[in-house]
Amino acid sequence: MRSIQRRLGLGLFTTALIVGLAFVQIGFWLFENGLRQYLRDSLVAETEGLLVAIVRGPDGLQLDEQRTHPAYERPFSGRYFIIEIGDHRWRSRSLWDSLMPAPPTPGLQAGLADGPGHQQLLTYRADYRRLGQTIAITVAQDYTPLLDQFSRVRWYGIGLGVLALALLLISQRLAVRRALRPLESVRQQVAQLQKGRRAELDATVPEELDALVHQINRLLAHTEENLKRSRVAIGNLGHALKTPLAVLVSLANRAEWEQHPALRSTFLEQLQQIQERLGRDLGRARLAGEALPRTYFVCADELPSLFETLRIVHSSGKNMAWTADGDLRLPWDREDLLELLGNLLDNACKWARQHVHLTMKQTDEGYLIWVDDDGPGIDEDSREQVMARGIRLDEQTAGHGLGLGIVKDIVDNVAGHMALQDSPLGGLRVCVWLPPKAMPAKA
Amino acid sequence: MRLLLVEDSVALADELTASLTRQGYAIDWLADGRDAAYQGAVEPYDLIILDLGLPGRSGLDVLQEWRLNGLATPVLILTARGSWSERVDGLKAGADDYLTKPFHPEELQLRIQGLLRRSKGLVNQSLLAVAGIQLDEERQCVVGADCTDIELTAAEFRLLRYFMLHAGQILSKGHLSDHLYDGESERDSNVIEVHVNHLRRKLGKCVIETRRGQGYRFAGNEAVA
Repeated sequence: MRSIQRRLGLGLFTTALIVGLAFVQIGFWLFENGLRQYLRDSLVAETEGLLVAIVRGPDGLQLDEQRTHPAYERPFSGRYFIIEIGDHRWRSRSLWDSLMPAPPTPGLQAGLADGPGHQQLLTYRADYRRLGQTIAITVAQDYTPLLDQFSRVRWYGIGLGVLALALLLISQRLAVRRALRPLESVRQQVAQLQKGRRAELDATVPEELDALVHQINRLLAHTEENLKRSRVAIGNLGHALKTPLAVLVSLANRAEWEQHPALRSTFLEQLQQIQERLGRDLGRARLAGEALPRTYFVCADELPSLFETLRIVHSSGKNMAWTADGDLRLPWDREDLLELLGNLLDNACKWARQHVHLTMKQTDEGYLIWVDDDGPGIDEDSREQVMARGIRLDEQTAGHGLGLGIVKDIVDNVAGHMALQDSPLGGLRVCVWLPPKAMPAKA
Repeated sequence: MRLLLVEDSVALADELTASLTRQGYAIDWLADGRDAAYQGAVEPYDLIILDLGLPGRSGLDVLQEWRLNGLATPVLILTARGSWSERVDGLKAGADDYLTKPFHPEELQLRIQGLLRRSKGLVNQSLLAVAGIQLDEERQCVVGADCTDIELTAAEFRLLRYFMLHAGQILSKGHLSDHLYDGESERDSNVIEVHVNHLRRKLGKCVIETRRGQGYRFAGNEAVA
């Protein structure tokens, strides 16, 4: 969708251009018409002056040059006449050696005739009867200076028009921008929302946007509420199922079972399967995924307590550290990312000899998470298998933790990907890439 | 060691009480969050095992209240809520350890052991070693200097473990019976005297000193050696 600003601008520009051109063209046409009418009157007077100058001389009719305008005597002066009396044809001296055809009909000629020296002539012919003869008098006036003047004025007009158009566009742009400022601010807030720098949109907006903003806020609250409710429900379900499971596991370890080791191991195996399946699916159901959450993962807030938790859970005194930019925030739900990092680090801690390191950074292509350990690692051939089948990395370490399975669910959920690599610490590096969230385009 | 178990599932509580009693802990069991909030703050427990999904009041709530009122007793959260965010929140609320259901009984046992030692500033090794005496909590016996085992009765084991975790402190008979018996047991301070004498006979006379009018003090074998 194109921006409103651009569309309004384009509409106004087209309209102003068409109206302006039409206005200029019609204005010139009317003006020129008026001008020609005026010139016609003076040409009529001219023919009458010439008619009066025709007198009867010794050899019939002749033109009394005393009475004609001196400009008719000066070559190419811009004023010309042709007088036809019967077969006689007199031309003004100003025509010199050039020919000027007499127009076929009387009256002001619609077009301009070619005159001497590239002149354009406005021509008028009048027919009279005098002294018993038909006299056709054609006078012409050079129109070129006026044409020049016209074209100069037209250029000025166009220049002024363009200037006016530019002013109009600029002022319209400013007005539109001012009118759209609330929209721009909402756009920025949505961007902040997606970057995790704000929990909801500012509700003080013009009434046109009021419904939209309120609806977005309600949707956000609704998503949050839904997520919370389903998490509570999943928590309760987990509680309801896992407590009896804990009783069964505890029962299976009773001394009475010692006489039936095979039975006990089958029993424990099945319990283990239920537990795994339950953990994985309940874990998956908890994920917020791509939903726009209200609580984001702020590294500086979450990582210290996560590491503290890991230190307590793995009380073996391993050296755990993390590197992340001071204000790094990841625009996904806090619980999802805690689950992702918790499981990865938990795995790393189980396998590490001494050191576990977490690196988080933001790049142009998204977010990078590296979890390094100095444990035995996984050789290259088995890596693909581990990734493809979601085998648990902690297969041999007894106890809790669902390893890579849930991590893979989380990464898939946000359209990221993960890979296993060699770690510079000597063991395994789990490399997770999460895509950047799409930002709305800048206006 | 006297433990408070707060767990609303009767079946699990029965199981845990049985297995923990076998391991020499005195267990008080409560199922309601409101009772737990009160009793946990009043009775001198050495450790509290707390479920989060409780009737009456949520476990996290209770824990936060305890910590706000300055209760320093180590708390182990035992819950079905196993997501990492819940673990982090639990530890933020003041828990010292977090175990998710279902769990292996030995895992719980090891965590209780570790937590008790950690809260007393001791290193978590396979044997509890204080002042020259090594106690095997798994088999409930003392490992002697020549690697021979000195067998202990259940009551002697409980008493010795308590002494070892509070080495150097003067412990009155009343204090000892508070921490060795659960709330429902009949208490008789003479019984403690008898067990102290038994321990002295098995481990040496100077292991436990008597401070007249004050109580007992665990000195261990180091003073002698």
